Amino acid sequence: MIRRLTFLFLLLPLMALVGTGVYTYLGGLKSKTLQASARLPTVTKPKFVLPGTMFVIQEGKIFKLSGGTFSEVASGNWMQPSLTPDHTRLVAVSKGPQSSDLYLLDLNGHVLKRLTHDDARIIDANHWAYYPRVSADGATITYSYDSPKFGFRVDFAIWSMPLNGSQWQARRRTTPNGYTGGDIEPLPVSSTGLIYVRHSIDGSGVHSQIWLQARSGLIGNPLTDAGDDCGQPALSPDGAQMAMICTHGSQTARLEIAPFNGSSLGPHQVLVATGLNAVPTWSPDGRGIVYLAPAGIAGHFELWWVPVVAVLATPAATATPAASPSASLAAPPPAVKPVQVTEGVDLSATSAPAWY
Amino acid sequence: MYEASSARQPPRSRLHPVRLAILTLLALVLSALAGGVAYFYPVLSAGVVQTGQVVAVPASNGGPTAPPVAAPAGAPFTVLLLGSDDDSKFSADHVLTQSMILVRVSPGSRAVTMLSIPRDLWVPLSTGGSGKIDGAYSYGGASAAIATVERNFHVHVDDYAWVGLKGLIRMIDQLGGVDVVVTNPVLDDFYPNDIDVKYLYGYTRVGLLPGPQHLDGSHALEYVRSRHDDIQGDFGRSERQQQVLLAMKAKTATLNAANLPDIVTALKGEFKTSMGLGKLRSLLGIAGGFNTSNVKQIVLLPPYTSGGTIGGQSVVIPHWSLILPVVRASFP
Repeated sequence: MIRRLTFLFLLLPLMALVGTGVYTYLGGLKSKTLQASARLPTVTKPKFVLPGTMFVIQEGKIFKLSGGTFSEVASGNWMQPSLTPDHTRLVAVSKGPQSSDLYLLDLNGHVLKRLTHDDARIIDANHWAYYPRVSADGATITYSYDSPKFGFRVDFAIWSMPLNGSQWQARRRTTPNGYTGGDIEPLPVSSTGLIYVRHSIDGSGVHSQIWLQARSGLIGNPLTDAGDDCGQPALSPDGAQMAMICTHGSQTARLEIAPFNGSSLGPHQVLVATGLNAVPTWSPDGRGIVYLAPAGIAGHFELWWVPVVAVLATPAATATPAASPSASLAAPPPAVKPVQVTEGVDLSATSAPAWY
Repeated sequence: MYEASSARQPPRSRLHPVRLAILTLLALVLSALAGGVAYFYPVLSAGVVQTGQVVAVPASNGGPTAPPVAAPAGAPFTVLLLGSDDDSKFSADHVLTQSMILVRVSPGSRAVTMLSIPRDLWVPLSTGGSGKIDGAYSYGGASAAIATVERNFHVHVDDYAWVGLKGLIRMIDQLGGVDVVVTNPVLDDFYPNDIDVKYLYGYTRVGLLPGPQHLDGSHALEYVRSRHDDIQGDFGRSERQQQVLLAMKAKTATLNAANLPDIVTALKGEFKTSMGLGKLRSLLGIAGGFNTSNVKQIVLLPPYTSGGTIGGQSVVIPHWSLILPVVRASFP
């Protein structure tokens, strides 16, 4: 027989335990999708070893991926690393709360030079500088810069400046459509040419189009149709293929490629048709593309690899239409299955990997 | 006598084993229930305070208030979504609605129609006179906003849901952020710096880059709130709002009941709705089943509206002969 007091003495903690247990159990039933947080790339092992060396961004830190191992090379608020043509230095964006600046770094993440000074005490005297790219001769850096601006109008234009010069020597290369966000993602081509993404807004909505400007001062011509809503262009190492992300007015971002003959694009081929694919980057040998796309239960942006060997066999572009309408989609390429490279790292989807 | 009295002494405190087992079981069940109630307390509390808000929509002829007519279970229904400044610039419940979206949900066909109402739309207000439609809520609360929309758009609004700026941020953060394709750079040098600051009338800079990406609550708010560098102004913002709503819908498909207390806690004081907990729960269930291709999005761009100036105010003039046929077709 048990005394009542002893019974109560034993029962109360048991009740507390059960109550707390149920509370904790219910908490454990929460959707794991929402709980999963990203891991540092350095504590992960890529599922697939990519050749060469690649720089990617996670939470403002620059990570180097080489030989299947990640290492952190710089912390801060870094974005959009880009290599110099000799692969000895990086140009990257450091983002502040109201401005962003371009910096020259060595491959170990040490700052060699601050290239722009865009911060100011007066709020609207601040500027944004993004998407730095160094020309093939290594002399010029081309980037998006929100100037000129006045009143409510703040649009990016494409600017160029000497890599070894100062911001005072910068020159504007494009005139953006007003109140659209402007021109971004410059890609210097040949000695004077420029590929970039231009935005426009009409009754049917917002459009992004890839444009080609043969030389500074010319208006240029569109390489893609407005309705295709293409952006994030990346040229293959031989310059004969362009990878891009096209949304066709939807919330699906397709990875497409098209032959490029220097003045126009051939028929597009869809490499990855579903999902939110972003920032394609060609492998140094041109045989594949890495890109970022959500994966896993948390939908973190992970690194993916897709081979393009089969697609390279497509006919070269003709010089016919300046823009390539949707109707000119080429026959589907042989099925290529993308391979997920990283897991659980959530890389910055607005920073294209830099790869050599 | 003494012996007899001694024999009647109360028995010592002992329990029969069966009684003991029953009591133990009962106590443990009660403890488990208490644990469950404690876990869902925020939901139960919100069920009393924030949901099931009674709205008395005044009749259009000025007569007695029309009793609310609830749509039968499973039947299509219309919800008026309201998004507001709630940043202490205004007295409580007298805020402007920066965002007004009519949403028609058809559970049977798993279809959704969203119609964004421009905040500057110049209309007769249910509270009297004419003004921008975003003022209806500030003059007469949800009932005035609903009545104004019903009278001008000739629709029946079954329910409303109101969320404040901080509520939207917290809600999206609770969802783990949203994945969207930002269509173009969203740049704004005059973005209101009015959240969690002492001085409510300052500005800050916003610079969102385009492309597929993951937005947390603060950045998602910047995306749906900024309008200064958009040639379409409020219309462009309306399109982005619908886009983020769909992205939130996609995320809610991953939720379950265990997530509700966190969400409700996050929305404390920042969310009100006429829907009861039961309807909200069923709505979450429906949200997971919708395909984006079954979502129709309407923004009243020109020629449905045109810009104008009335009394020195920049307003949006409705062209009802064009708007009403669209509304009739989408909100029967």
